[in-house]
Amino acid sequence: MSVSRRGFLRGTVLPFSGTVIAARGMEASQADGAQERTGRSLVPPGVTEIRISSNENPLGPGKAVLDAIVGKFPEAGRYPFNSTPNDSALTAAIASKFKIKPQNVVLGGGSQEILKNAVRAFTTPLRGLVTGAPSFENCPGVAKKLGHPIKEIKVDSMFRLDLESMVDAAKGAGLIFLNNPNNPTATVLGAKVVADFVSRVRQSSPETVVLIDEAYHDYVTDPSYESAIPMALDTPNVFVTRTFSKAYGMAGMRVGYAIGRAETIKPLEKLKMPYNISVFSVAAAMAALGDAKHIEAERERNTKVRAFTIKALDEFGCKAADSQANFLFVDVGRPAKAFRDACAKQGVVVGRDFPPFEKTHVRISIGTMDEMQKAAGVFRTVLRPVSTSAGPGIEEASWR
Amino acid sequence: MALTRRGFVQSAGIGAAGAFAHAWIGARGRENALWSAVEPTLQAVESGLIVLASNENPLGPGVRVFNAVKAAFGEGGRAPGRYSNAGRDLIDAIAKKQGVKPENVVLGCGSTQILRSATQLFTAKDKPLVGTIPTYEECAGYAEIIGHPVRSIALDPDFKIDLDKFADAAKGAGLVFLCNPNNPTATYVGARATREYFARVNRESPETTILIDEAYFDYVTDPDHDTHIPIAVENPRIIVARTFSKAYGMAGLRMGYAIGHKDTIKKMADWDGGTGTGSLNVLALHAGIAAIQQDASFTAGERARNQAVRDFTINWFAERGMKATDSQANFMFVNIGRPAKEFRDACRKKGIAVARDFPPFEKTHCRLSFGTMDEMKKAVAVFGEVLGKKAAAA
Repeated sequence: MSVSRRGFLRGTVLPFSGTVIAARGMEASQADGAQERTGRSLVPPGVTEIRISSNENPLGPGKAVLDAIVGKFPEAGRYPFNSTPNDSALTAAIASKFKIKPQNVVLGGGSQEILKNAVRAFTTPLRGLVTGAPSFENCPGVAKKLGHPIKEIKVDSMFRLDLESMVDAAKGAGLIFLNNPNNPTATVLGAKVVADFVSRVRQSSPETVVLIDEAYHDYVTDPSYESAIPMALDTPNVFVTRTFSKAYGMAGMRVGYAIGRAETIKPLEKLKMPYNISVFSVAAAMAALGDAKHIEAERERNTKVRAFTIKALDEFGCKAADSQANFLFVDVGRPAKAFRDACAKQGVVVGRDFPPFEKTHVRISIGTMDEMQKAAGVFRTVLRPVSTSAGPGIEEASWR
Repeated sequence: MALTRRGFVQSAGIGAAGAFAHAWIGARGRENALWSAVEPTLQAVESGLIVLASNENPLGPGVRVFNAVKAAFGEGGRAPGRYSNAGRDLIDAIAKKQGVKPENVVLGCGSTQILRSATQLFTAKDKPLVGTIPTYEECAGYAEIIGHPVRSIALDPDFKIDLDKFADAAKGAGLVFLCNPNNPTATYVGARATREYFARVNRESPETTILIDEAYFDYVTDPDHDTHIPIAVENPRIIVARTFSKAYGMAGLRMGYAIGHKDTIKKMADWDGGTGTGSLNVLALHAGIAAIQQDASFTAGERARNQAVRDFTINWFAERGMKATDSQANFMFVNIGRPAKEFRDACRKKGIAVARDFPPFEKTHCRLSFGTMDEMKKAVAVFGEVLGKKAAAA
């Protein structure tokens, strides 16, 4: 740990927020990757790393996207509003995909920008944030920096967001963060349940804004699930976020967006950083939108590899929550840190701690079949003896 | 085109509510208060258009950078699917180039993010932003969004920053935005005078932070030219902003950075996304590393190229009795003796895009960015046609 700590201090500027970053890990803090470094530093030199820690698409974006990027080299020196087509064409393309108007779309530098700005726009010292425990940490991370109150509602016994308790907690709240499927537990809520939740919140706390983050939308196979986008377009104070970072395989390109009624997402448009999507990312996202087959293939691939991994872990006596995403939340019966460190020594890097389940559960992203077969071999050796020594890392556990 | 325009109206509608919150904003007019949203429509996209509107490097970043971008695709083109750690390497490369420590550097999605973070952190309802009028509008625009006041100071008769007046205005301010060379006027205040300015503000208003935007640093040819980075790393009240969007030719990639005292940088990094990399794309990170690792001949070459184009263009206007300010950047601010809009619209019809209005000089002055020599030769032919005619509407 001391090594990675030093690496952390050397490579960056922020021991200041180190606790938060260490706890949030890669896809939470984007590219900061303190947690990734922790994992990587434990991967012995010469051992091939299998990175299944950040819920990425291991195959990346595909040829159409890469070609589109290369095609934009002549415009690298132009601001995104001067490129051809320019960044507003991406907004238009997203609008067209959903048959909505451009004013129902706000682009973000990854959906993280939208999440951050939602907390800035919709919470106050008096009107706080309601989120799941565990859920994606981006929103509570920002609320904490701002000193705005946070209510974290523990997931139910099936590791689903506990909507019943969240409705109660939402009274007077500024913002509800509803991650569906939920990262890190991978569970999904059906369309009816979500609609019912929203209408109850609308009744009991009409000023509260509901953010439904559908980052993992494209991976869901449960037929009861539907996107909340149509509801968001019909319902004040509700909006949905999507990202190109997951099934689209473009985590490195930083493109996400919000969809909702124009008056709901207006504050997000206002806070949006001007021309925050690079010329390459605009071209990449537009090409990706035009390549629906790529997403279809990625969902199929993920479903297959997910089933394999669940089965393998089950054989080692480890049960996963119902996964509707490209990752698993697995009861490994020991602290995540012990499991993570042991896996890292054999080249397999898995997810960070997710309190309050860091003593028993680990999040494992779904890599390629080849990677998961190798990873399963590592899990087998790691799971055989039960580790007793290592507790959770201090940084990882302390920020909440 | 129709979509762009619709997008524009939509955005304008959103920002307009707060547009008149401050006197300066009012003076700048609705269009400029919202310039980020408006700029796209001024030079809406079409191929064949010569864009002299955004102070870009018309040649782009060069082959080393493109090779780095391709290499960043990784094995099988999979790397863009991953969140990237390369921000650390870029910080290291910048630190090495600028002779500072990594703890003195924070990255931004263009310098835009840097300017916004500084405005967020160092201004307040009772601690205004101080800027010149005109200057680059990002800080003022963001101050407006978050409801913090803006104090604006007129330039001197040569369109340079009047440092005496600017120092008086800094008293009690949260943040001074000092754009040097100043966009859109292209003028530059010398390194010595600027250092004296820092000392005076530090003495008279010790709580005030100064953000010096050196976006056009590499284009300056004035002999009294020096970076303020060495001062910034020592002084928690001084921050230098830099960008890859100008001489490095990477405006489309969105990469900028700030250099300052480690405590100041820490604050900025903490406000917006850890190391500030939340919105930074992996290709831009690798492009930035390749760009900054080039030897000084890259920026020297671009400076020399720009200087030749600048001399050619400024002379062309001078020969026709139109005076430009002393340009130390890759653009010029020239008195064309008629409204910028009229000139702009006429040029646009002939395939040349020039810049937006810059109040309070929008009735007389236009900002022109320098393209390639070839582009400028074509452009002056158009300018000749446009300016030769009597302004019909005037």
